[in-house]
Amino acid sequence: MVEFTVPEVDYTRYTNRQLAAIPLAVLVVALLIIAGWYVMTGSPVNQGIAFTGGTEVQVAIDGPQSEAEQQIRSAFSAEPESIRSVPAQSVYVVTFQSGPGSESVGATELEQQAEDAGLDVRSISTVSASFGGDTQTLAIGGLAVAFLGMSVLVFAMFRVFVPSIAVVISAFSDIMIPLALMNVLGIELSLGTVAALLMLIGYSVDSDILLNNHVLRRSGDFYESTYRAMRTGVTMTLTSIVAMLVMTVTATLFGIQLLAAIGTVLVFGLATDLMNTYMLNLSLLRWYKFEGVNR
Amino acid sequence: MIDVRDNWRVILLVVFILISAFALFSPTLAADDGGDGGNVAGTSSVTNLQYGLELSGGTRVRAPLVGVTAEEVDFGGDEPRTVEQNVAAELEGAGPADVIARYGAQSGGQSTAQPQSESGNTVEVTAEGVTTDELTAALDDAGYGYETTREGVTETTRQEVVRILQNKINEAGLSGGTVQQVTTAQGDNYVLVEVPNQDASSVRDLVGERGTVVIEAYYPTENGSGYARDVVLQQEDFQSIGTAQEGDAGGAYVPVTVSEPVAPEFQTAMQDTGLAQPGGTRCTYQADTESTEPCLLLVVNGEVTNAFGMSPGLADSMRSGEWAGNPVFQLQTTNVSEAQEVSINLRAGALPAQLDFSQDSGGTTSYISPSQGADFRINSLLTGIIAVLAVSGTVFARYRDVRVAAPMIVTALSEVVILLGFAAGVGYPLDLSVIAGFIAVIGTGVDDLIIIADEVMAEGQIDSRRVFQSRFRKAFWVIGAAAATTIIAMSPLAILSLGDLQGFAIFTILGVLIGVLITRPAYGDILRALTTVDR
Repeated sequence: MVEFTVPEVDYTRYTNRQLAAIPLAVLVVALLIIAGWYVMTGSPVNQGIAFTGGTEVQVAIDGPQSEAEQQIRSAFSAEPESIRSVPAQSVYVVTFQSGPGSESVGATELEQQAEDAGLDVRSISTVSASFGGDTQTLAIGGLAVAFLGMSVLVFAMFRVFVPSIAVVISAFSDIMIPLALMNVLGIELSLGTVAALLMLIGYSVDSDILLNNHVLRRSGDFYESTYRAMRTGVTMTLTSIVAMLVMTVTATLFGIQLLAAIGTVLVFGLATDLMNTYMLNLSLLRWYKFEGVNR
Repeated sequence: MIDVRDNWRVILLVVFILISAFALFSPTLAADDGGDGGNVAGTSSVTNLQYGLELSGGTRVRAPLVGVTAEEVDFGGDEPRTVEQNVAAELEGAGPADVIARYGAQSGGQSTAQPQSESGNTVEVTAEGVTTDELTAALDDAGYGYETTREGVTETTRQEVVRILQNKINEAGLSGGTVQQVTTAQGDNYVLVEVPNQDASSVRDLVGERGTVVIEAYYPTENGSGYARDVVLQQEDFQSIGTAQEGDAGGAYVPVTVSEPVAPEFQTAMQDTGLAQPGGTRCTYQADTESTEPCLLLVVNGEVTNAFGMSPGLADSMRSGEWAGNPVFQLQTTNVSEAQEVSINLRAGALPAQLDFSQDSGGTTSYISPSQGADFRINSLLTGIIAVLAVSGTVFARYRDVRVAAPMIVTALSEVVILLGFAAGVGYPLDLSVIAGFIAVIGTGVDDLIIIADEVMAEGQIDSRRVFQSRFRKAFWVIGAAAATTIIAMSPLAILSLGDLQGFAIFTILGVLIGVLITRPAYGDILRALTTVDR
């Protein structure tokens, strides 16, 4: 069996600037990607049909993929926006964007067309554009309120500015970097990924609070406290990453998109969290402990 | 000997697990099949867990209602019925059945997002394609004052729609189907219909139509210049409605009883229109509408679906006035399925407003095939188990001590068992978002247990209970803080009645609460029992 122990990092070799530079640079790149996406597509992230409106049909077809895709295209009167296959199952996920006017075809017609073509319909779901817009507002509002609530609570708990803002910045970065990665890798924002981003707020704050707590509220040397917090915190985050990786792989194989989406985003976010907590948060904390307090 | 005072946390945990196991497996708590099972979409055989549509298969339709409403209307002393007729007369494409005037209907939604008007009088028009401008014009022409007009219908109407749709689903024998009203964060109101094991088109057929059934008399006018049509019986004029039956000579019929106050009126109308003439009437409406004897028309959703005359016997008893004493007759239809539809519609009642399925209405439809649902159920269970195994592997690799790692896994799993028990106990249907919540709970749960373990075992052996207590308390500060943030982060989604993430948020919050209050303290006790040296 593999064994892992958390290595002790010699933080004295790096200055605060060096430590903070990397995570901040990554955050800036992420924000640039999101801003660029906004300029290019009019939306900061790729939105799935839950937010834009449209229809998703899942059909089961035996046989080689190219033939199946041919069959799907000929079955429906509307042009599918995308056709994805689910590995390990002969299931294809076909999405149709809801367009204005006559181009868009309703769920009932699509269901009828699929049945006429002899396709085995596994599921079908339609979201209208205006409903999608409502869901979008709800998701963004939910994220914003969650983030604000978290920030207020963190400030209330620590009651000192620098350590609190360090937690908030880390959490912000933990959400933005996975969002940018989703754009780059072509993962759409869905209800599942929104759930994952919300979970990230919780996970991200866990390790940050642990670190702040050890450094600020315990007696003992800064580096010793840091090491103890790291040993626990890194174990926590690594355990979660392993669980989410495994979940992503299995859920992808089984074609459970919601769980796969949650898993992917959490893996990104937790990896980001490792970097942010032990470089960005730590450097701010060290500055506060050694220099900021004496001001 | 187990000291109860020392181990009360562990005992509390065991009690909770036992209660959950009871809720999960006890046959006494099993939900009844059919009936109004609340939010039930399907029941499994082994456990009392109920599954949502995603995991059991079925159709979910969410749509707003067609209609426009004028608020604070001054009826000027008229009866609502008169108001309805006057307004309908000024509107093109809307009959009296499409206009509803109410005294003091609850106007706004339950949400605070919409201005709650004082309980004033309202006029609603629920015909398709009528705009607020047209309603404004019609009210002006009819001479009724009003304050505002808006899209949408009143709360009272929505409640009526929900009740009638539920009746329809029950009458159609679709067990486990549910209808409810949901409100978005923006204050928009939708009607949500969930029917297990049915595909989207059959559900739409059932709930998509208003389901109005009226009987009209079709008879030559007195001056001989053609035919007149009068509504003689409406949905609410029937006292009892029989089940659809096959007729002797092809066709089918629904036996009905007309309610007593209406029967004499109907009888008189039959005499006046010439339907109840000696020897009865022979209707040839389908063949030739211009030269038929008087007919009774069966009008469903505004369309004439059948026309029939009157048998000599019935006509005689109508004319003698005997019929009103025993007011039964048969609604003739062309085939059995039509008779069934008429029967369902008559029993459930007509919808005051129709569901809007048009593209830009803001509705959603989803259908999951039962086999897909079953696959999701098994596969998500497998995914969960594999994820837990991965966590166990990592934890063992890190601590290399079964005494620390094994209780950790057991504790994390017991959180899921308690949550499942809760879901079974209150009948909350499991769907994928709830399962995502379970994953979040296991994740934060194991994190917290790692914090406890590291804190408690820091720097070698624990030699006294007091040291243990103080370390445990320190660990708990972090856990409590983290739990509070998670709860705050999830609460907005948990409160909003709409959104597929509600289940996720509710179960994450519940799981964190159960974790902090019950399971994680118990883990501390277990760890102490296993690692403290002084006992």
